[in-house]
Amino acid sequence: MNIRKVGVIGAGTMGQGIAEMLAFKGLDVYVTEQSADRLSQAMSAIELSLDKQIEKWALTQAEKKLVLNRIHPIQKLSDLSGCELVIETITEDLDSKKIVFDQLDRLCGPNVILASNTSTLSLTELAGVTAYPERVIGMHFVYPVMKTDLVEIVRGLKTSDDTFNKTKEFVEDVIQKKGVMVFESPGFVTTRLICLFINEALHVLEEGVASAEDIDSAMRIGYSFQHGPFEMADRFGLDSVLAALDRMFREYGELKYRPSIVLKKMVRAGHLGIKTGIGFFNYDKDGDRI
Amino acid sequence: MIVLVMNAGSSSLKYQLYNMKNEAVLAQGRVERIGMDSSIVTHEPTDKPEVRQVSEILDHNTAVRKVIDLLTHAEHGVLKAMTEIKAVGHRVVHGGESFKQSTVVTPEVKLEIRKLFDLAPLHNPPAMMGILAVEANLPGVPQAVVFDTAFHQSMPQESFLYPIPMVLYRRHKIRRYGFHGTSHDYVSHKAAEVIGQPLKSLKLVTCHIGNGASCTAILEGKSFDTSMGLTPLEGLMMGTRSGDMDPAIVPFTMNKEDLTLSEVSSMLNKHSGLQAISGLSSDMREITDAMKEGDKNAKLAFDMYTYRLRKYIGAYAAAMNGIDAIVFTAGVGENSSVVRKAVVDGITFLGAELDDARNDVRSKEARFISTDASRVKVLVVPTNEELLIARDTYNLVKTK
Repeated sequence: MNIRKVGVIGAGTMGQGIAEMLAFKGLDVYVTEQSADRLSQAMSAIELSLDKQIEKWALTQAEKKLVLNRIHPIQKLSDLSGCELVIETITEDLDSKKIVFDQLDRLCGPNVILASNTSTLSLTELAGVTAYPERVIGMHFVYPVMKTDLVEIVRGLKTSDDTFNKTKEFVEDVIQKKGVMVFESPGFVTTRLICLFINEALHVLEEGVASAEDIDSAMRIGYSFQHGPFEMADRFGLDSVLAALDRMFREYGELKYRPSIVLKKMVRAGHLGIKTGIGFFNYDKDGDRI
Repeated sequence: MIVLVMNAGSSSLKYQLYNMKNEAVLAQGRVERIGMDSSIVTHEPTDKPEVRQVSEILDHNTAVRKVIDLLTHAEHGVLKAMTEIKAVGHRVVHGGESFKQSTVVTPEVKLEIRKLFDLAPLHNPPAMMGILAVEANLPGVPQAVVFDTAFHQSMPQESFLYPIPMVLYRRHKIRRYGFHGTSHDYVSHKAAEVIGQPLKSLKLVTCHIGNGASCTAILEGKSFDTSMGLTPLEGLMMGTRSGDMDPAIVPFTMNKEDLTLSEVSSMLNKHSGLQAISGLSSDMREITDAMKEGDKNAKLAFDMYTYRLRKYIGAYAAAMNGIDAIVFTAGVGENSSVVRKAVVDGITFLGAELDDARNDVRSKEARFISTDASRVKVLVVPTNEELLIARDTYNLVKTK
C-alpha cells in the first residue's frame, strides 16, 4: 500500500506540527478542526512556523509554497474518506476521542489505518468503539514534530501485525523517523519517563535544593539535554504535563506519579508555559526565552 | 539503432530519443511533479508541435509508460511501435568507487547502485526507480547506466583523499568523487577536436558552470582533479551553494544560531552562493543585469563568483604544471560573455588572451574565444550530456 493522502483531525500544537511535517515530506494532508475559525488560526500558525524556518535557512520561499499547497483545510470529517491514513490529534479526552473514532470507522474503508496521537489513553478502549479494531493503532509523535525524529508506534490488544507493519514502514521509509514499537501502557515510554523526570525536578525545586534556572542548567549541560526539565515543561504546556501525570497516577495508583503541588498551582494561575508567555520562565510571542 | 536516454530525479523524468545512425534527436521532453495529482508532461517531437499534458502520475513507472505512449502516439509520436527502442541509457549521479565507466545493467549492477544510496540519498533512488520502470514497461530491452562520478575515478589519491583520519575513508568511503563527469568528459573531447590536437597531449581546465558549477583539471585525457567533492557542495561558488569555505564555520554557526544539522545543510545548499551575496537571485543573468544598473550587491556576488573561478584555474594550472586550454560550458559558461571576460582577463599571466569580438558572439557551436596569438586557448563548448549517454549506451549494447 502506498500512503499519499493523510488526514489530520485536530489542529492544535501537535496537529499543526504533524500536518506541517507530513506536507514537508511530500504528502497530501487534509486537516480538520472543530470550527472554521480554529482551522484558519491553525493554518496561519503553520505558515508562521514555515516563515520561522525560512529565517533559519531550513526552507526556501518556493519550498514553503509547495508545503502550504499540500495542506488542505477541510470542513467536514467526510472529506477524509479518500485518505489512506488518518491521524487523530484532538484534546486528550477519552470520550471525545471515542466519538471521533466511531465516526471515522464508518467513513473510512476497512483498509484505512486509523491512528491516534494519544500519549496516555488506552488504544484498546478507543478501538472498542470501531467495527474494525485491528486497523486502529497509536502514533505518538514527540514535540517539536519537525525536529524530533521519533514516533512511538503503539499496539492495542487487537491491532493487527499488518497494521503495525504498514505503520512502521510509513514512519521509517516515508517520513523517515525512527519508529519504536510500544505495547499499550499508560504514558508508553516517552511520556512516562519524561513526566516523572519533570515531576522529580519539581520536588527538588519545592524542597529548595536549587533554583529552576540551576536545575535546568545542571541537567542541560551535565547530561546533554536540549532543554532542562522546567523549560521542557514550559514547552510541552504545564496543563498537558499535569494531565498526563494525573492520568498515570490514576492508572498505576503509584505515588511517584502524583503531580507536584507547585505544578497544580501554576496551572490554576494560568501560567501554562510558552503558550501563555509565562511558566517557569518567560517567553516572547515567538516562543523564545526572554 | 534507436536509443532512449533518461534522467530521473525525485519528482521528475527527462528524456531524449536518439537515432544513433546520425545521432539525431527524434524527440525530447520531461515529466514534472511526479507523485502529485497534477503532473505535467511536456513532449517535444523534433518535427512536430510540442505537446503539454496535465494528469495524475503517481510514480516513475507510470511516468515511463506515459513517455512510451507519447513516443509511439499516432499523432504526437515519432515511433511506430515501442519495440523500435533497442536500448535505454540512464544517468546515475553516484557510482561511488564501484563504477569507473558506464556499464550494462545487470542484477549485480543494480545491487551495487542500491549500496550507493547512502552516498547520494536524493539522486540515486530515483535513477533506480527509472531503471525498474523501464524493465517493467520495455521488458528485455538492454539498459545501460552512465555515472556522473565515473569520469573522475581516474584521479590519483593525492587529489581525491581529504587530510582527515584515514579510518573515515576506509569505513565510510569519505573522499572526493566529483560530479558533472559526463559533461567534463564530453567537452574535453570536443575541445581537443576543435584545437586539432590529441586530447592526451593537452592540459585542460574545463569549467562546467551552470546552476551547479565545477572545474576539472584534465591531464592526458583523464580527470586529474575536480572541484566538487564528496557531495556537489564543494568547490566553486554556485547559484545557491556556498562552495569552499572553512569547515569550522559549520559548528560555529550551529552553535551561534542554534541550528540543526538539516538547517545548516539547507543553508549551505539552498541559501548561499550568488543568492546569498546578491540578496537578489541565484541566476547569473539577473545578477549581471542588476550589476549594469549599478546594484552593489550584485557586483559583489559577480566579483566573488569570478574570483573563485580564477583561483581554481590557477590552482589547476599549477597542479598540472601547465595549461594549454580553458573550456567553458553549461548555462553560465556557454552564455555569459561577461563572466568569461572577467575570468580570462584576470589570468593573462598564464598566457590566456581573450578576443572580445569572438567572446561576444552567441552561438551553439564549439568555438575559440581567445586570440589566435593566445598561448593558452580559451574555448566555449556547449555540453551535451544526453548525447554522451546515448553514445555510451549504444557502444555498450552494440557489442553485446
